[in-house]
Amino acid sequence: MNSNIPVLKVENLKKSYSGRIILDGVNLEVDKGETKVILGPSGVGKSTLLRCINMLTLPDSGKIWLEGVELTNPNTDINKMRQKIGFVFQDFNLFHHLTVLKNVTIGLTKVKKIPEEEAIKIAASALEKVHIPNTLWNKYPAQISGGEKQRVAIARALAMKPSIMLYDEPTSALDPQLVGEVLQVIKELSTAGMTSLIVTHELHFALEVANELLFIYNGKIVEQGPPEEVFANPKHDMVKKYIASIYSRKG
Amino acid sequence: MRCAEIFGLGLLGSYLPYMLEGAIWTFALVGGGLTLGFAMGVPFAILRVYGGKGAKAAIDAYVWVYRSIPLIVLLFLYYWGIFPVILGVKLSAMATSILALGTRDAAYETMIFRAALESIDPGQMLAARSLGMTRWQAVRTIVLPQALRIAIPGWTNQYAIMLKDSSICFALGVLEILTRTRYVTISIGSYFIPYLIAGILFIILTYGGTKVFNIVYEKVQIPGLVGGK
Ligand SMILES: Nc1ncnc2c1ncn2[C@@H]1O[C@H](COP(=O)(O)OP(=O)(O)OP(=O)(O)O)[C@@H](O)[C@H]1O
Ligand SMILES: [Mg+2]
Repeated sequence: MNSNIPVLKVENLKKSYSGRIILDGVNLEVDKGETKVILGPSGVGKSTLLRCINMLTLPDSGKIWLEGVELTNPNTDINKMRQKIGFVFQDFNLFHHLTVLKNVTIGLTKVKKIPEEEAIKIAASALEKVHIPNTLWNKYPAQISGGEKQRVAIARALAMKPSIMLYDEPTSALDPQLVGEVLQVIKELSTAGMTSLIVTHELHFALEVANELLFIYNGKIVEQGPPEEVFANPKHDMVKKYIASIYSRKG
Repeated sequence: MRCAEIFGLGLLGSYLPYMLEGAIWTFALVGGGLTLGFAMGVPFAILRVYGGKGAKAAIDAYVWVYRSIPLIVLLFLYYWGIFPVILGVKLSAMATSILALGTRDAAYETMIFRAALESIDPGQMLAARSLGMTRWQAVRTIVLPQALRIAIPGWTNQYAIMLKDSSICFALGVLEILTRTRYVTISIGSYFIPYLIAGILFIILTYGGTKVFNIVYEKVQIPGLVGGK
């Protein structure tokens, strides 16, 4: 694989909902090993952007490439490509009827057709990376904490050995005391070289983990750059207000 | 002694086994009907929820038709019309009854199972697709197993309803509980005790069957899933 091509490339992506423009020409690239964080006020289309990237929501126009393969091309086998895109949802979406371990192995056995025994080994390693002890393996999602659920959800995505991880506000549904453990795991994965695109409102975390911040507003990326630069010298009014509001909220 | 004569109690031993055998027939009618209803209703519901426009319209039409026709009309329609005349097959009264009970039950099972499917959080489907599952894989491995569990109480109810409805099959002479009870009353010239026994048999069948459904429901229960603990 040519190391010059970005893992993810999005070009002029547009999406409207019943005539209302949500994304109005978004361009972005994520290179191998990079972590980029998407910021922006509520309702600007951050989730829409992430869902368009793995085509869970179909974009109206624009192109998306994953490692050089165009996802927006109708001839591309999107199910095959989605295996390479780890997606972490705000509300976990663990499979309610499956144990922790089964949640992680099911993608391996059903989608990748990996034999159960080997799948368990892969799952064990993924669960270890997110610090889920094997005492929890046979629990059902309803029997573990929110932080544990989200970490299992991360392991479920990770086990597929994705080329990129997409996180959509992974800690927004968590009690404050559980946020840290999840952010810690995401940070460890990023530091270990996992290519990641993260939507979050956790500014402090964004500062620590991101190679680059992307601010979305009015359907476009209005400001981007390394966190220190953006924070030291925000140019766009929305970005200034956004940073100020988050800081005042946190006190 | 006189009392026993009026109620035909003395003859009890002679006709009780005959009536008990009726319970087996009733049970066979319901077992067959429910199985057919399930075998049709589940795929119908899946088509209704995930299928194309044409499939949805066809299922809706089916449900509407079968909910509209009284069971006894359906029975006669099948027995004297559709099977012998239109399809040219001679079916026994028993087979016709099971078909009528089952095809009608399918309409109700479609509704029950559709509601169960639609009650599953859409996030489950999203998560399954995000792993690379096809739509059908996601339905089969993620949505169905949850919906089937949720639908069990609805099916328990269908069992209890069909058990009682099955007595209408006496109109075709199927040797189920009611038909046999009628024969007994005619032959002994007394009504009360045979019908009392018929009622008790229905109570036992309802109780026993419901109990079995409830045990299954408990057995397959998963913590956190609707109705679970
Ligand atoms: N399926 C949909 N149909 C119609 N409108 C939608 C749909 N999904 C999202 N929207 C609208 O699109 C806009 C962008 O939504 P989106 O969830 O992408 O925003 P967001 O930036 O992720 O917000 P938040 O920070 O609250 O998560 C919102 O106004 C939302 O109401
Ligand atoms: Mg969102």
